[in-house]
Amino acid sequence: MSQNHILSSFDDELNDLRAKIVKMGGLVDKQYKNAFIALKTKDQNLAAEVYQADRLVDQLDADIEKQAIQMIALRSPVANDLRDIVSTMKISAGLERIGDYAKNLAKRVKVLSNRETISVSRALIKQMIKQIRSMISDVIDAYISRDIDKAIDVWRRDKEVDSLYNSLFREMLTYMMEKPQYITSATHLLFIAKNIERAGDHATNIAELVYYINEGELLALKRPKDDSSNYMEVDPSDDS
Amino acid sequence: MDNAAEITPQAPTQAMIQACDVNVYYGDDHAIRNVNLDIAPKTVTALIGPSGCGKSTFLRCINRMNDTIASCRITGTITLDGQDIYDKSIDVVQLRARVGMVFQKPNPFPKSIYDNVAYGPRIHGLARNHTELDQIVFTSLQKSGLWDEVKDRLDTPGTSLSGGQQQRLCIARTIAVNPEVILMDEPCSALDPIATAVIEELVAELKERFAIVFVTHSMQQAARISQKTAFFYLGEIIEFGDTTQIFTNPRVEKTKDYITGRYG
Repeated sequence: MSQNHILSSFDDELNDLRAKIVKMGGLVDKQYKNAFIALKTKDQNLAAEVYQADRLVDQLDADIEKQAIQMIALRSPVANDLRDIVSTMKISAGLERIGDYAKNLAKRVKVLSNRETISVSRALIKQMIKQIRSMISDVIDAYISRDIDKAIDVWRRDKEVDSLYNSLFREMLTYMMEKPQYITSATHLLFIAKNIERAGDHATNIAELVYYINEGELLALKRPKDDSSNYMEVDPSDDS
Repeated sequence: MDNAAEITPQAPTQAMIQACDVNVYYGDDHAIRNVNLDIAPKTVTALIGPSGCGKSTFLRCINRMNDTIASCRITGTITLDGQDIYDKSIDVVQLRARVGMVFQKPNPFPKSIYDNVAYGPRIHGLARNHTELDQIVFTSLQKSGLWDEVKDRLDTPGTSLSGGQQQRLCIARTIAVNPEVILMDEPCSALDPIATAVIEELVAELKERFAIVFVTHSMQQAARISQKTAFFYLGEIIEFGDTTQIFTNPRVEKTKDYITGRYG
């Protein structure tokens, strides 16, 4: 941050911790990128690669947690240092979960490859993935540069992921009603979309943690939510 | 100083000691600058800050220990229970019984354990007879957590005890004269971690009865034992507030830099 520690090895460790988060963010971003290519091109090898690579994300999360606990034990951090280390640990856990959802997406590529694809939904998934990737990279930027405005911006963008999910949800229900053959793929696509929507929530959490590291207080704004799928119903007899 | 406005406002609890615009000079050296601080009863107030920042000087103002330094000059007021302690009518010996002090290095008198504790009550005439004096010695040693360790050798020299025990003997000596405030100037810096923990536990118990002002160089110690923390820097109070707030979210940049170990 502004000043260096008198004990420079403490700064080295903090920088190392941050570098690991950056690496993790890059890895997770790549996972989404590859998972979508695998979905689009029905490339099961690439899907398997994504599935395997999740281990690297998990490993980084474990490393970060171990290092953070060590730093708390050995450095007795206080004030912003303490907030930084504890929040970094939580950010790492959040990224790990976001990574899990990409892995889950990859897992569903196989079953979707054997079926007729629903092109409209794929376009929506593409948009959701684009959105989540930019949220991840921006929130990592905000974390590294301690940029609260950028963090709040990411935080607000979760709403867009939510509304994309709502559209997709509605669309899938319609497809399933129209053609029972679509039920399998539509259900899988729905899970994929739900998972990306959850990933967006985790990115939002990370944005809140960035705010907390800087300000020492929780972000007091009301979370923008636009997930109305919980209340959504489509009636088959409805001929609209 | 531009930070002055950011100092946490005092809670409206009744202060036991109020320092108002205190300035201390050693000759031309301006050691304490416009210090305002309220010290609450039944509270541990920690004073932290780098060496030479004035925390010990300020501590020594509270029981007029600085009177012994010829070049030392003090302006402003310090009141104890509303009474100006620098008023001409104040008997300094009485004041020091009300405001006791424990020093960095344990300094028992070259007397027996019993006499170390009995010394104060004797000169202040707090006991009418031997039984009462025995009682004071017993309660003081018990409150300082030393009784069980020394009850069979009260007539051995105080200096024969271990460092931690000597420090607790000094605390027993301080509380034997029924003070209202105990000033502690780095009382654990010469002790091992176990003896330190024992003293810290003792401080937690003593705060139920006394106001304690505790100077320490160990930030962790301040965080562990105090409810209020004042950060001194170059003779000024930079920030004063609840210990939890100071150590989780200090409001002043200088405080943050100091407690996190950055260049100030």
